[in-house]
Amino acid sequence: MLLALQLLCDGVLLGGTYVLIAQSLNLIFGVMGVVNLAHGSFIVLAGLFTVWFAAHAAINPLLAIPIAFVVLFGVGALLQPVLLEPLMGLGAQQAELLSLMLTFGLDYVLIELGLQVFGSSYVSLPYLQSTWSVAGLTISKSLLVGSAFAAALALLLSFWLNHTGFGKTLLAASQSEVGAVSIGINVRLVRLVAFAIGVGLAGAAGVLLILVEPMAAETADDFTILGFVLIALGGLGDYRGVAIASVLLGIAQSAVGFAIGGDAESVLPFVLLILFMALWPQRFRRAA
Amino acid sequence: MRPITIAPALRRMAAAALPALVALLAGTTFAPAAAPPIVIGGTVSQTGAFAEDADFQVKGMQLAIAEANAHGGWLGRKLEFKVYDDKSNAGTAVRLYTRLITEDHVDLLVGPYSSGITQAVAPLINKYKMATVEPGASMPGIYVKGNEWNFQGTASSLTYLDELLPIAKKGGAKTVAVLALKSAFTLACSQARIDQAKQLGMKVVYQSSYSLPSPDFAAIGLAIKSAHPDVVIGCTYFPDAVGIAKALHDQGFAPKYFGETVGTVEPAFGTALGSLANGIVGNTSWWPNFKTANSPAIVARYKAMFHTEPDYHAITGYASIQVLGAAVQGAKSLDQAKLRNWLLHHTVPTVLGTYKSDPNGLSTGFGQYLVQWQGGALKLITPAKFAQAKLLVPYPGK
Repeated sequence: MLLALQLLCDGVLLGGTYVLIAQSLNLIFGVMGVVNLAHGSFIVLAGLFTVWFAAHAAINPLLAIPIAFVVLFGVGALLQPVLLEPLMGLGAQQAELLSLMLTFGLDYVLIELGLQVFGSSYVSLPYLQSTWSVAGLTISKSLLVGSAFAAALALLLSFWLNHTGFGKTLLAASQSEVGAVSIGINVRLVRLVAFAIGVGLAGAAGVLLILVEPMAAETADDFTILGFVLIALGGLGDYRGVAIASVLLGIAQSAVGFAIGGDAESVLPFVLLILFMALWPQRFRRAA
Repeated sequence: MRPITIAPALRRMAAAALPALVALLAGTTFAPAAAPPIVIGGTVSQTGAFAEDADFQVKGMQLAIAEANAHGGWLGRKLEFKVYDDKSNAGTAVRLYTRLITEDHVDLLVGPYSSGITQAVAPLINKYKMATVEPGASMPGIYVKGNEWNFQGTASSLTYLDELLPIAKKGGAKTVAVLALKSAFTLACSQARIDQAKQLGMKVVYQSSYSLPSPDFAAIGLAIKSAHPDVVIGCTYFPDAVGIAKALHDQGFAPKYFGETVGTVEPAFGTALGSLANGIVGNTSWWPNFKTANSPAIVARYKAMFHTEPDYHAITGYASIQVLGAAVQGAKSLDQAKLRNWLLHHTVPTVLGTYKSDPNGLSTGFGQYLVQWQGGALKLITPAKFAQAKLLVPYPGK
């Protein structure tokens, strides 16, 4: 029983670290229709920056969260009008396809940038390396903090989208661009802000992920793939669904990793992706 | 009237002009031409995932070549190193080795960095019958019948952490957990340790492999904790070495003996784990205090040339050129068949240790030794004559 509870606890915490990866991509892909293959690069660049920041500034690495968010928000705000906005006038389907191709190239550029600036080695950050024992369960402090911050930021994003004027405007623009324009919404500005926030949150996710796992510039695409898998499982643009999928995947991976081993744990998300795409292909369709 | 004779004048002119003429001719047509350099070709991962380790390897080679040239080269000919960037990509390496052999017509080859890339170019090397010393490939599966032109220039992965289990058994350990990243090198290493445990009469209570990316080692950590082994051996690279150590700690489990292969000797390992690294055992094929051939002098010259400390990749690169040079000068030829024959039947004292090959090119001379993190620094544990500290037991895990 205790073992099952430990697995459940580990799985929920693992899922918590997934939530922000998935929700930041969900904003860019699910809401704005940009197939952002460079998403993992933003995450990894922020993670590598955090290690550098912690080493040089010698202060709490969690303080890198606002820095990474603001810097990458700025990067997103610069890239969107220059690279992505010109594609948006070509129709939703064309824009998705072309954004995929464009961000594929951008991903390579960002990974090479990471290699040049931070080197090719894996890096990690020793932070909160101790555990709490609660009713016989062992809980890693760094995993709990990383998971809790990621979940809190994902909740904040959800709140902003559903309960603020600009958030509702963004959702409205994503559902009907024509309708949004007809009532005077500046759709270009909405797209710019959405992309910038998505990239900024990817930066925050990178800071939190480096607290719990090693990263290297070339691991960027692993995070991108994980994000797309979670969106497929939870539903495109469906924030609640993606949050639940993140936690359930974390629990499933913990159980499978314990019972069968690491190989099965690694392959599980992809098996689920194939199953979901085969059985419910509409989960990858944007809300019209 | 004194007759005009031109002979003395001509003689004087000729005498004056002759040295200049000789000098002119010597510089142009009649002097024997300087022998062309011996061209050694290879690739190195200057970019991509292996760039940092590979950079050490190529610098070691560059130093060895520069020193050989300072001593007149080999067979009276200077050496030239033609090296391309394989971008840490096996396909690129295969194309570049094809170019080195068929277009650049290099005289000699050295292997690339990493077992995976070497495995990709090995059949090509075999096809063109180029006797090649390979410093970057520890995986024994490359050096088999049918690949007999490839010679391992580093210690075999079968020897990684091979000293730990006998020590643990002497210390009373009875049970073992063995983990492996799913790569050719690490799987070969884990099978060797599992076989060794069984030979020693120790029980393997948990074994598992995993692939990267594996963002979560918690489940594996919990499974190991449930099996409660006395010894945990991870056949790892850097990221999983860090991940497994963190996972065991997060699950509140510290085995009595804890060893991990590749990754533990990198300074970043200590940075990544902090105090948690203390007590973790790793392995190395070379250490700065080894009294192998000219080791201190080579370390000093490396530091002077590159302004950084060499690691074992640099020393392995240097040693591979030492072995190749010994073969060329021993065989007194660049004929590949003669070189292969020489490499099969001779030993070479190098800075890495003694080069020796089995009939398929597998290294049998180079060894792996134990190191352990103690007090935030790596200490050499074996061989006993160079040991800097005694093995810290049990692993503190905090």
